Amino acid sequence: MSATPIRPAAPRRRSRVLRPEARTGLLFVLPCLLLFLAFRFGPAVAGAALSFTDYPLGADPTWAGLKNFERLVNDPTFWQALKVTVVYTVLAVPASVLVSLGMAMLTRRTSAMTRLYRSVFFLPVVTSLVLAGVVFTWVFSEGGPWSRAMGAIGLPGGSWLADSVLVLPALVIVSVWSRFGYGMLILIARLQDMPVELEEAAMTDGAGPWQRFRHIVLPHLRPALFFVAIIETTVSFQVFDTVYVMTGGGPVRSSYTLVYALFDQGFRYFDLGYASAIGVALFVMTMVVAVIQRLTLGRES
Amino acid sequence: MNRGAGNACVSRQGFSQGAWRAGRAVLLLIAAAATLFPFYAMVVLSFKPTGPVSFPTALLPWPFSTEGYEQVLGGRSVVQWTINTLIYSLVSVVGVLFLASLAGYAFAKKRFPGRNTMFWSFLAMLMVPYHITVIPTFILVSKLDGVDTYWGMILPTLANAQAVFLMRQFIASMPDALFEAARLDGASEWRVYTSIVLPLIKPILATLGVFVFLWHWNDFLWPLIIGTSDDMRTLTTGIASLQQESVPLNVVLAGSVVAFVPIFAAYLVGQKFFTEGVTMSGIKG
Repeated sequence: MSATPIRPAAPRRRSRVLRPEARTGLLFVLPCLLLFLAFRFGPAVAGAALSFTDYPLGADPTWAGLKNFERLVNDPTFWQALKVTVVYTVLAVPASVLVSLGMAMLTRRTSAMTRLYRSVFFLPVVTSLVLAGVVFTWVFSEGGPWSRAMGAIGLPGGSWLADSVLVLPALVIVSVWSRFGYGMLILIARLQDMPVELEEAAMTDGAGPWQRFRHIVLPHLRPALFFVAIIETTVSFQVFDTVYVMTGGGPVRSSYTLVYALFDQGFRYFDLGYASAIGVALFVMTMVVAVIQRLTLGRES
Repeated sequence: MNRGAGNACVSRQGFSQGAWRAGRAVLLLIAAAATLFPFYAMVVLSFKPTGPVSFPTALLPWPFSTEGYEQVLGGRSVVQWTINTLIYSLVSVVGVLFLASLAGYAFAKKRFPGRNTMFWSFLAMLMVPYHITVIPTFILVSKLDGVDTYWGMILPTLANAQAVFLMRQFIASMPDALFEAARLDGASEWRVYTSIVLPLIKPILATLGVFVFLWHWNDFLWPLIIGTSDDMRTLTTGIASLQQESVPLNVVLAGSVVAFVPIFAAYLVGQKFFTEGVTMSGIKG
């Protein structure tokens, strides 16, 4: 190959045989490409295809047309899972964003003290949700800290995890605990980009803290807030670990989320075709939410 | 700069500034206490003798007992789960970093046919939720007899689009001259990768490595599906199984502490990498 530059035939040869650079490039990408084909692209296509089949574990898949989707729209369990997921997301995302915002505002000025607080607030983010679930199961248990505290201030005092209405707020609390440190850091990073002069100028003009927050800080934070909201929506849509550990989808399917339904159908009832249909529904919903968010985002910026 | 702003405030609206400071301090203390409470409860309850605990006396450090730890470490399982988790996490970190840096370097600095199509299809996979691919991936791995094996657990997680993307972005921002010089010296492509590319991308290797490690250490759904026998459980699925089998709370929590301590220790030492890794990659596993 080193001789090619002096040969007049070189350009033609280049068109037939790959240049060394291209060969190296392809060779370096190849392992990743094979893994992606086998474990990402392939399964994504197969997942869609399987949703049109009847596929009990151990047997071979047989073509079932739209049967799984007919079953899906007529299955009250699916609608319950959809409802639970949407309610959970609608509660968890604003709660998480608000707490992240509050904590970002409280720790925005960097000092030894706020640095310590930030690392405390970030600790739950690196903690496994299974561990969190185990501890919070005790926290929310009958007679545990949460039920005592709620009883003391006149709110429902039994076990929230055993209550068909309060179980979702309880799971949302765990989610906020585990997630707010992440949102906080994103927002702090954005706050540190903000020119100090803006706020100082507003202060000399006599703007109070609330006015400064409302008219200067909040508009500056808007893109970061949207980013956090998008991430939190994705995370909330796919909630599984805490549900598995803390409630098992109960009581009576009051915390039966979509991913939990997918797991239940696929790996407890071994109905892989139907579970794949739930996966496709999950994908479609994720896309719908993504498009809605893209549109709102687009309009805002 | 901050102090200057603070002084301006004090002179202008001294009282409200003082009240704001005090309120802020109180709010921060409450938030920190609420954040740390579950950790405190986890540790203190793990050192209780087996039996019912009643709140609030349960939060006192006595009666003190290491029964939970004796039980959880005495059975072979937790040790085996820790080994499994270490294998799952460490092998995956090495695999992801190696494959992603190799591909990221090629995507950033090599021109080859199909490069952009490939890169964008990798990126598109970030949009497809993991849960849609999980069933076909399970079927594929079980057809290859990979259920309850380390390779079956690890191999599918090596296809990490985020890692490839971050590597490509990082390497693309470095000047071409760095790589050209070595090639003109006659170094082979592999030498360029090992002796030029790898040392240059050390910072991102560390950050991404911590993130991938954390993701695997805390991963739950995939190990739950693919590691079905007790011997193949990881710490997360093992502790969940203890909880489901109504094992006493002090024992489950002792196991939880065992699973948490390595991450906590690593967090204390390299907090910077954790925050960078997680914020850079967006989503916790």
